[in-house]
Amino acid sequence: MPEHAAPLLRPPRHRVDPRARRWWTVQALLTLSGPMLLTALAMAVLSILFFPGALPWLGPLLLVVLVLPAVGYLVAMPRWRYAVHAWELGERAVYAAGGWFWQKRRIAPLSRVQTVDTLRGPLQRRYGLATVTVTTASTAGDIKIAGLSDADAEELSRMIGEAAQDVPGDAA
Amino acid sequence: MSTPLPPEMPGTNPGAPGVPHATAAPAAPSDTAQWRRLDPRTLLVHCGWMAAPLGSLALTALATGGRITAGAWITLAAIAASFAVVTTIGLIRWARTEFRVTVPHRPGGAGGAPATLDVRSGLLNRRLRSVPLHRIRTVDLTATPLHRLLGVTVLRAGTAGSGDGGSELSLEALTVPEAERLRAELLAYADTDAVANDPVVARINWRWLRYAPLTFWVIGGVFVAAGSVYRVLDGIGIEAWKLGFVQRAFAEFGASALWLTIPAALLVILALGSAGATVLYVENWWNYCLEWTDARTLRVRRGLFTTRSVTIESARLSGVLLREPLLLRAGGGAVVRAVAGGLGNREENRKRSGLLPPAPRPEALRVADGALRAPFPGSRSPLSLAPHPRTALRRRRVRGLLFAVLPGTAVLAGLGAAFTPVLLHCAWIYAVVTTPLVLWLARDAYRSLGHGVHGRYLVTRSGTFSRDTLALRREAVAAWTFSTSPFTRRSGLVTLTAAVAAGEGGYRIPDLAATEAPAFAAAAAPGIVEEFLMHPGESVQMPAQLP
Repeated sequence: MPEHAAPLLRPPRHRVDPRARRWWTVQALLTLSGPMLLTALAMAVLSILFFPGALPWLGPLLLVVLVLPAVGYLVAMPRWRYAVHAWELGERAVYAAGGWFWQKRRIAPLSRVQTVDTLRGPLQRRYGLATVTVTTASTAGDIKIAGLSDADAEELSRMIGEAAQDVPGDAA
Repeated sequence: MSTPLPPEMPGTNPGAPGVPHATAAPAAPSDTAQWRRLDPRTLLVHCGWMAAPLGSLALTALATGGRITAGAWITLAAIAASFAVVTTIGLIRWARTEFRVTVPHRPGGAGGAPATLDVRSGLLNRRLRSVPLHRIRTVDLTATPLHRLLGVTVLRAGTAGSGDGGSELSLEALTVPEAERLRAELLAYADTDAVANDPVVARINWRWLRYAPLTFWVIGGVFVAAGSVYRVLDGIGIEAWKLGFVQRAFAEFGASALWLTIPAALLVILALGSAGATVLYVENWWNYCLEWTDARTLRVRRGLFTTRSVTIESARLSGVLLREPLLLRAGGGAVVRAVAGGLGNREENRKRSGLLPPAPRPEALRVADGALRAPFPGSRSPLSLAPHPRTALRRRRVRGLLFAVLPGTAVLAGLGAAFTPVLLHCAWIYAVVTTPLVLWLARDAYRSLGHGVHGRYLVTRSGTFSRDTLALRREAVAAWTFSTSPFTRRSGLVTLTAAVAAGEGGYRIPDLAATEAPAFAAAAAPGIVEEFLMHPGESVQMPAQLP
């Protein structure tokens, strides 16, 4: 490997749709932050009603264990994700970056592409978003691009389909 | 995945088939396109599940001195009813399941329909699955003891793609000669070159048995066995803890000199475990033989009660994995696994991919050579791999201290502060003992790390509890993944994963230098990452990266 100017992997060129932030926020609210906040609220109310003496230590405990992490996740995750998620269709390969805390950049050559799936969940449909999954013969080689706008997703899956046909395939 | 084809029939020509360029020309040509049935003895195999309830019933009857209670009668009636249902279903299934091998009109004719294996089944929903023979990668004959008793065997044909069972046709069950014949028919379409000079790569050598105790089963096996005995006893209504002699044994154990009895108990567990591991080794690897049946087919046969025969086509053999678990490595042993497509899902792959049982390391390297038919990296000369950055060592140390030493010490110290000073001493002793151990393991893990390109193979090594050396055909890499976390990003490390349509799907190269990984990925498997590389200094207008 040339030590002097080892090339680096640049991020993919296109960001996902900005509406994805709202989608991720709602998702966070529904799956993690919402239940945590509700639990905190319920415990606080119960404590006020029945065990007022416990409030001095329970309050800070709830704040640190439930409220702050929930709010932090709700605020930070969508932004962080939006900064990371990106995709690009190159001449010979498709490239996607995803994740937030743990980040993944995956590149699969078009010659290995088997199928292109477009998925729209109920939440995603509300925001006009879609997830495109490009599958290869290997389970560790599937590329998932979440948070594309409907139009982009359609265009992308069409382009990948066409490009995959042009490139001589060796997808077993 | 890739196998299910539309159920329209390829042109079949009953009576006029030609077997194209088959060296193992199998059946009489006249019956190749006839629908064939499974063996009726399958019905008996399906009744095998009754053994357990009937057996436990008999045991209960024995334990209660021959008195059969009302509950037992109900159980017996339920068994009889299930027997009727299962037999009826089995009969219908047997009567409605048929298979055949079709061959094209013109032998090897281009444009003609491909030779296929067709299986149709189902009572109401008739289902026809048709698999082109050239898609079949492995043919696997398995017989449980019950199958062997009845002289039948199960044939499984695995196809391309590391499928999840859906890409597999299985015929349960065929007589042994019939299954052998069908296998020859199915594999006849992989065009066969001359048989290799020395087809047998390895045979069982019972001196390897000394490695059997160096596996997980030494300790784990005893507990697994004890657990299953307890469950069986529980199932037939005997509560082991209430048995007199068990209680007496425990009472005496507690009352005696613990400094003597605890080591003795450990010794007994070790002895039992070693015996169990040896028995398992014998059962699994009896009659083991690894051979090239022709120039393109590698076959493993093994097993005492359950015989297992796995056939791997060389085109699907993407690489070989040399695995050295900590104990086995200490004893100078290793096992060899195939990285091959079409061996089924993860669990099935784990069972089928074994090429060599625990054996001496030189033997393992020789078998790896034989399976690759090329020198396994490191088998002739010491393996030279590029080391990983020192930050990877620091990461391993920190991880070990954080996840092994710290929690145990903290818990012991906390309990000690709350209850008894004895635990405080335990805490510092724990810390003093585990810290050097963790540091040593971290150093070992770091020294295992390495990657490189050797000829046609991408070579990586990692792991301490199980040091795995992988030689993967470079063209088998189907995708590259670069994974990072905030910690690795700060240390300038990245974990590279090679996606392969074989074996476990993805193979990790942990903690490479982030600056070297892209270049290595490009060099090891060209044609994937190149267009997304940039040289340092080039500006890039892109999503701002958060830390």
